[in-house]
Amino acid sequence: MKCCIKPSEDTRFFRFILMEQEVIESEMILPTHLSFKKIQMHEKYPKGQARGRHWKHLKQIIQAENYQNYPADEPNYVNIESPPSMHPRKQICDITGFEAPYSDPRTHLRYANTEVFKLIRSLPNEYVQRYLALRNAAVVLK
Amino acid sequence: MLLKYFDCTRSGPRSAFDNDIVFQFEIMEYILDFAFDRLGSDEAPINHPILITECACNLVHSRSKMAELLFETYGVPSIAFGVDAAFSYKYNQQLGICDRNGLAICSGFTTSHVIPFINGEPVYEACCRTNVGGYHVTDYLKQLLSLKYPHHMQRLTWEKVEDLKMEHCYITLDYASEVRLFQKGAKEAAEKTRCWQLPWTPSPVEEPPSEEEIARKAALKERQGQRLREMAEAKRSSKINELENELKGLEFLIQQLRHVNGNDIPSFLAETGYVSKQEIESAIVKVTQSLRKAKGEQDEVEEKQEISNLEKYTLIDIPDNMLTPEQVKEKKRQLFLKTTSEGRQRAKQKRFEEELERERRNKEDEQRRLENPELYMEQLRVKYKDLTEKVEQRKRLKTNGSNGNENLSGGVGRGERLNAAQKERMRLLTTAAFDRGKGEDTFGIKDEDWQLYKKMSKDNDDEDEGPNEDEAELARVASKLREIDPTFFPKSDASSSGTEPPRFRPLTKEDFQILIGVERFRCPEILFHPNLIGIEQAGLDEMAGVSIQRLQSKSQSLEESNGLTNSILITGGSCLYPGMSERLEAGIRMIRPCGTPIRVLRASDAVLDAWLGAASFASTMHFQRQVFNKTDYYEKGEDWLRRYQLKYSF
Repeated sequence: MKCCIKPSEDTRFFRFILMEQEVIESEMILPTHLSFKKIQMHEKYPKGQARGRHWKHLKQIIQAENYQNYPADEPNYVNIESPPSMHPRKQICDITGFEAPYSDPRTHLRYANTEVFKLIRSLPNEYVQRYLALRNAAVVLK
Repeated sequence: MLLKYFDCTRSGPRSAFDNDIVFQFEIMEYILDFAFDRLGSDEAPINHPILITECACNLVHSRSKMAELLFETYGVPSIAFGVDAAFSYKYNQQLGICDRNGLAICSGFTTSHVIPFINGEPVYEACCRTNVGGYHVTDYLKQLLSLKYPHHMQRLTWEKVEDLKMEHCYITLDYASEVRLFQKGAKEAAEKTRCWQLPWTPSPVEEPPSEEEIARKAALKERQGQRLREMAEAKRSSKINELENELKGLEFLIQQLRHVNGNDIPSFLAETGYVSKQEIESAIVKVTQSLRKAKGEQDEVEEKQEISNLEKYTLIDIPDNMLTPEQVKEKKRQLFLKTTSEGRQRAKQKRFEEELERERRNKEDEQRRLENPELYMEQLRVKYKDLTEKVEQRKRLKTNGSNGNENLSGGVGRGERLNAAQKERMRLLTTAAFDRGKGEDTFGIKDEDWQLYKKMSKDNDDEDEGPNEDEAELARVASKLREIDPTFFPKSDASSSGTEPPRFRPLTKEDFQILIGVERFRCPEILFHPNLIGIEQAGLDEMAGVSIQRLQSKSQSLEESNGLTNSILITGGSCLYPGMSERLEAGIRMIRPCGTPIRVLRASDAVLDAWLGAASFASTMHFQRQVFNKTDYYEKGEDWLRRYQLKYSF
């Protein structure tokens, strides 16, 4: 950690900032006052206010768009999405990636042959859930 | 002035993007700050019109917030929004790579779009978007490698995995046949497997001790044992000497006493420290006993004790009313001594019997083992498994019990009130401390209240006994198995992963290698089959078909849509995989009518073409005519903003 003095544009005071060497060298640090801005960041987002500012997430923004009020054949963010695939589902072994005609009834993992099956049965539950989560098939208890 | 389209979205919490829409404008402002700062602007306001790229069919909310940001905070005079894929297509059209009518397949960081172009303009009605991109490929690769090599997880950072992806991943023409190569273990498969050797240092090899070493160590141990034995012997003999001397002294004293008459005894004895003859006699008895013990004649001593005890029990049989009060006390004492010694006897007997029993069982076991070793081993293994399950279950109950019971106890425990006994204690405490509404704590006024603590401590004792039995049994079975079964590995706790190498093998170079074989082409496969990661949408090749279908249903010109496949441009950072063009061509050929011309063209610079296209667009007059300024924005309102679309051709 290196101690670096960063003079801000407003040179009334210098700021002592502790930084890692790489961060300094990468020159990714911005001064707190930028001359081309009409409103500075610290004025707009004063410190001390909840940092987890509640920006609406995509789902909420989409809902607020009210696409149902507009004609359905107009392209919008929602209706240009792809439909589900018509092709037959590709089934590959969760562990090795080979073709997997079999699936384990207990853990619902796909496997290709008996060795992989032995491996599956010896996996602790945490790993089983992580493999299933890759396929979005994990059971989420909330 | 132009703005570079940042694809620097990270998956961490500090990304300005959700999918491909900007939603966190605070972070967006930082990005813009950085851009303007590095571009060298120093005067406020920024006096250049700005062309910003966005995704296809962007949301009004995002557009308006962006416009606000630029107008209010930066003082930009005018803005125009354009779609990045369209800029890329137009740019390549200018370069002559693709035609006026064609299909743009743009595979980005989080999304992939397919946009048809008719007469040089994008047709958004037929546009198609799947929410799979480079981010998902990298994430998939990272998860797969982390699961395969759990002990190298710290090495597999996001940045490193992205590098691996860019360097090694490719797209096969036919997944099934490629994967069969690997399944068979063919030579090509081995060649295609890339190996990443992590730095490691071999641990110093311990040489097995040579014969001399072993002999030397044994001799040393023997000598030490000898020394200890000698010391013990010396101690014992010195103690015996001491006791004998003491005995001699006491006997001499007794002899002297015989010559002294009764009245002078106290004064005579005053010098020696004894008060009466009986004391001296009892001291002699004690010393003789200890002497005998030291010499190792134990049985006699115990018998002597018994005999002397029997003599002492003389008073027990005499009924109370015939004795003086002191004798009654004496009788009580004798009774007490008798019962305790009898109890001791019984305990000894029981222990002896248990020993015999155990001996007998061991002998039986041994016999069984010698008769039928296989069966015996099997039985032992089964027993071991049962016991491990029981122990693990109990452990699980202890840690998981609270999860299930939280609802029952109404949130009493923070996970610490784990088993029934502790819950009981908690209940007792809370009821005791419960203010019965009188405003005063009445605990302790009655004596019975303090019995509470007795109840609580008893509970504690019960719980600890149980597991020890099972665990002791488990340990015994495990040791037996270890002796007789060469293939037995004691299972370590459930928390360790099943794929860790057994610990008594020294780590070799291979343990520090990360092999990437099937993953090389398994990960980019999700672009064509998003259901591999659970996203129920069409892949890239199918999307092209969907797009053409949508076009055909919207505008009824078939010839145009048939000609589209003659100029398919692939652009976007996630299309740089080797083998992408061939795979796309094969995939699209499968779904288009036989004989349609299919040409897949790569963008000249897949990553930067969007920016280059925007740059060339902004240098034309066309750009000036399509920007809107602040007054436009505030006057015309949201509806106008929603319908605002850039026109790309002149």
